[in-house]
Amino acid sequence: MAKLTIDGKEIEVPDGTSLFDACRDARGEALPHFCYHPDLSIAGVCRLCQVEVEGMPKLTIACNTTVRDGMVVHTRNERVTSASTQILEMHLINHPVDCPICDQAGECGLQNQYMNHGLYEAKVEMDDKVTKAKAQVIGPHVILDKERCVLCSRCVRFCDEVTGTGEMGIFNRGDRAEIGTAPGVELDNNYSLNTVDLCPVGALTSRDFRFQKRVWMLKATSSVCPGCATGCNVRIDHEAGRIFRLKPRYNPEVNGRWMCDKGRMVYKAVHDEGRLGDPMVAGDAGAWSAVPGAVADLGAKDGFGLAITGPHQSLEEMHLLKVLAGDAPVHGGLTGTDRDEKDNLLLDADRTPNRKGLALLGIEQSDGSALAGAIKGASGPILIHGGDPAADPAVAEALSGKNTIYIGTRGNATSALATVVLPAAMWAEKDGIFVNRDGRLQRFAQGVARHGNAREDWRILAELMNVRGLAGAPGSLKGLRSGLNAAAGLDADLNKLPERGFVPGGDVR
Amino acid sequence: MSKPVDEMSGWALSPAGTARVEALLRQYPTKASALMPCIWVIMDELGHVSEAGVDFLTAKLELTRARVHEVLSFYTMFRTEQQAEYTLQVCHNISCHVMGARPIIAHLEKRLGIRLGETTPDGKFALEGVECLGACGLGPCLQLGKHLYEHLTPQKTDDLLESLRRGEVPRADTDRELPSGGETS
Amino acid sequence: MSPSDYKILSARFDQRDGHLLPVYEAAGGYKALRMALTSLKPEEIRDVVKNSGLRGRGGAGFPTGVKWGFVPEGSEEVYFFVNADESEPGTFKDRYLLDYDPHQTLEGTIISCFAVQAKLAFIYIRGEFGWLVDRVQAAVDEAYAAGYLGKDILGSGFDLDVIVHKGAGAYICGEETGLINSVEGVKGQPKIKPPFPAVAGFLNKPTIVNNVESVASVPWIINNGAEAYKKFGTEKSCGTKLWSVSGPVKNPGVYEIPLGMPFREFFHDYLGGMAEGEELKAVIVGGSSVPVLPAAEIMNCNLDYESLMNAGTMLGSGGMIVIPESSDMVELIQVLMHFYFDESCGQCTPCREGTGWLHKIVKKLRRGEGTAADIDLLEHVCNGMAGLTICPLSDAAVMPMRSFIDKFRPEFEALIQETAPAEPTSRWPRGEQE
Repeated sequence: MAKLTIDGKEIEVPDGTSLFDACRDARGEALPHFCYHPDLSIAGVCRLCQVEVEGMPKLTIACNTTVRDGMVVHTRNERVTSASTQILEMHLINHPVDCPICDQAGECGLQNQYMNHGLYEAKVEMDDKVTKAKAQVIGPHVILDKERCVLCSRCVRFCDEVTGTGEMGIFNRGDRAEIGTAPGVELDNNYSLNTVDLCPVGALTSRDFRFQKRVWMLKATSSVCPGCATGCNVRIDHEAGRIFRLKPRYNPEVNGRWMCDKGRMVYKAVHDEGRLGDPMVAGDAGAWSAVPGAVADLGAKDGFGLAITGPHQSLEEMHLLKVLAGDAPVHGGLTGTDRDEKDNLLLDADRTPNRKGLALLGIEQSDGSALAGAIKGASGPILIHGGDPAADPAVAEALSGKNTIYIGTRGNATSALATVVLPAAMWAEKDGIFVNRDGRLQRFAQGVARHGNAREDWRILAELMNVRGLAGAPGSLKGLRSGLNAAAGLDADLNKLPERGFVPGGDVR
Repeated sequence: MSKPVDEMSGWALSPAGTARVEALLRQYPTKASALMPCIWVIMDELGHVSEAGVDFLTAKLELTRARVHEVLSFYTMFRTEQQAEYTLQVCHNISCHVMGARPIIAHLEKRLGIRLGETTPDGKFALEGVECLGACGLGPCLQLGKHLYEHLTPQKTDDLLESLRRGEVPRADTDRELPSGGETS
Repeated sequence: MSPSDYKILSARFDQRDGHLLPVYEAAGGYKALRMALTSLKPEEIRDVVKNSGLRGRGGAGFPTGVKWGFVPEGSEEVYFFVNADESEPGTFKDRYLLDYDPHQTLEGTIISCFAVQAKLAFIYIRGEFGWLVDRVQAAVDEAYAAGYLGKDILGSGFDLDVIVHKGAGAYICGEETGLINSVEGVKGQPKIKPPFPAVAGFLNKPTIVNNVESVASVPWIINNGAEAYKKFGTEKSCGTKLWSVSGPVKNPGVYEIPLGMPFREFFHDYLGGMAEGEELKAVIVGGSSVPVLPAAEIMNCNLDYESLMNAGTMLGSGGMIVIPESSDMVELIQVLMHFYFDESCGQCTPCREGTGWLHKIVKKLRRGEGTAADIDLLEHVCNGMAGLTICPLSDAAVMPMRSFIDKFRPEFEALIQETAPAEPTSRWPRGEQE
């Protein structure tokens, strides 16, 4: 451990700690910075995190300094403040200061800094600024404004050190230096939008989010990406029922500070035109009030012949379906679907969020012909929760002529075959738990209102319990979770999962 | 990138140039460290590094295009576009300035009918101002390829231009100490 | 002593074919190498060089032997770089050393490598010295053929390879970590320190970078001993120094004199005073990056590290730029500010933006569009650049800028009074339009 004094405050940190981090601890806020990033190599080029270390003649950058026992450090004295103000001014002189039309405004490091430092007066005439290319599309997801760039090199280091794809570079030198991709090269890797997050200014912006919303209008909900089995922790940024973007949320056990571009786009399905908005009975849209009767008419009062869930459903929903099915077999859907190529970073080949949840509850999956066989052998109506098993021709064939109830989010082969179709919530419209590929239980949460007349899945299942006349239909998610906890022997408070998630039997990492 | 370079674009180094690159790859401790000398091989042979040249370098040295372009753009002597037959680079830094670099530049501009930074329409001459050439006590001076012409006067620059127009590169001042046996050039 | 007694480094500058191996050998060349490899231990060589008081001749003046001592004991893989990226405006001494006597530097290189146990050395020659690359390569080829390089040199068991590496036009590669990066195949931008190159430099291995003149001094020091070297110069500025002299003096050129010689004596006895019709106005004594001194101040200086420091300037690389009375100081500072703006590597914000900004303000002054506030602004920008960056290029721009204002303020103020914009004589290169 090293004891040091920062701004008169004594703190103790482990040996080898970066002075930057020690200052953050002591001050309660980070030093001004653009180039430092905890997950990237030290560049030391923005020069903003200068501090005074007693005994050293010059100011030094905290990001490239390791703490020493007995160090006495000043971060707010006149010498340090005046240096950082001047350096900030240097960052601004060739910056266009076009905040009113910049997407970064409101979450911009440069904007925050110059407001903190009160640098409102321009010392440089507009005509004298260095001009560079603006609004240059550099890849499928990212657009570049070279004038706004402060050359912190975070995006370059990310592509070199994290993805290893090396698309970005800083070309030329002096104040002609500019960020970009080499001729004929696109910033086209599955993590390109992380460069937008990393960019401390508005130089790299998301083509998807560009000009869509002022960031200060957005509300944030902590959730989990349903795009694959990794379960990256995300923040849903939304306003007035509309999702505008997903951003990664720090979880060192899962995704660190990154998420993939594919994951960032999963929100689009929530607002997709193919969403189911009303209950349908025999092809006609109706009201929820008509549902119990319609379902009862299909013979559901006496139970189901087979209940099929799938890896898109939450752990609570899987459990409740088992309770609802009672003695009837519960099937976990098809094994071969929702798989694609994995990459070496975060994206898993399994493009569903909760296949491990099925395993946890002992629900087995099978291929299409085995499922078709199970359907054919079932007596009584078939209840299908989520997924699209009828996309498999054998399953579709087996379902024809059967009474089928489908709880789903979008129109598909299965909804087309079903006698009763019940519109359910998507992940961003409800709360629940997914179990990721490492067996980690993670909470996702409702960000936006449900589409049309869609309902939370657990409420639909609870209603079906009532139709069957089963006792113990849950009145709340909380109640449902205690049942799940007991049934699965999890020995956890599922209503209060730790921030980094929970792995039954201990953390695997 | 796995295709042979010449199939992609017709771009190729001479056998001697290729051999030189192979030798550099054996000599330098890492592939990346051979980047500058490999660029020089291309520069010396072709006068500039085109995108096909970049293809060659990325494949040979296992570097990204961004890395190669960063290096190409960082150094003033590396060029990515076709150059004039003769690029006259006049030092405009302080010592030469004090000794009259400006009048020499003005004289060359008049003689060539172009401004500093331009190339004659026939592509024969380009005129550039460059930073210190390390001939400070011998200024004003200009650089042509790997040779320096020092103690420039209007007359001396006229003689130089006249020789070059005839296609003859006059003996450079930096050649003055050559022993009789001759030196590689 | 007569001037010829001072010739430690420049003994063969005017000798015909002095660059050829037989001529060098006939003059006692490679004797020091033989002695070093056969009868001295690496640490003994390091001690001799340390005791000689030899200080880095590239500009910083750091003791060479001390620098060698920073290589961690027992390092397996050590690299040695000879810095011949001589790009400091006003400096051309290393060019002379390599042009007229390349074997002297080469012998010094081999001894230095043995001292730090480096097995591979690079001689990094600036790209503009194209002919010099060929000359040094020819000397290296001769040395290989004679058994001074390669495996088991002179039967000592010591192996060394030397690569002559050609730069490509970047002042910043003269900074030692910029130079290392340049050879690593990335942009020649300085590395952040720590770690220092003696601990983790080229390919993250211990690396020593020494200026040509420092390395060239080593054979003489080995041959004659530390005490003999210390007989030249002053107590803290030991040995002789090469001065590159440019500007309208009678005899510009490269001179070797003992450190501590009065400028007045050097100016009159060696340089022959000013050329016909010229008056001395000022001198930039150590290359363009050190503060300028007006004639009256430099005339009272001695030419050694301490005296020049006390006078408010620095010895630097010994690139002495003599400025005549006919020069317009604001025009000259524009020339210099263009240089630093052109050569800033662009990595650190204060330097990248500051060098460009200084250049723009000076241009504005020269166009006759400046105000008194612009002179204050120049000082303000300098404050935001000095001492705040990875390498000294930012300070190298600030030192002349500040000193030009400080020593020649009336010339700046006079421009503000005038209204007629001066017609520029020509445009500036590299996309920069006046």
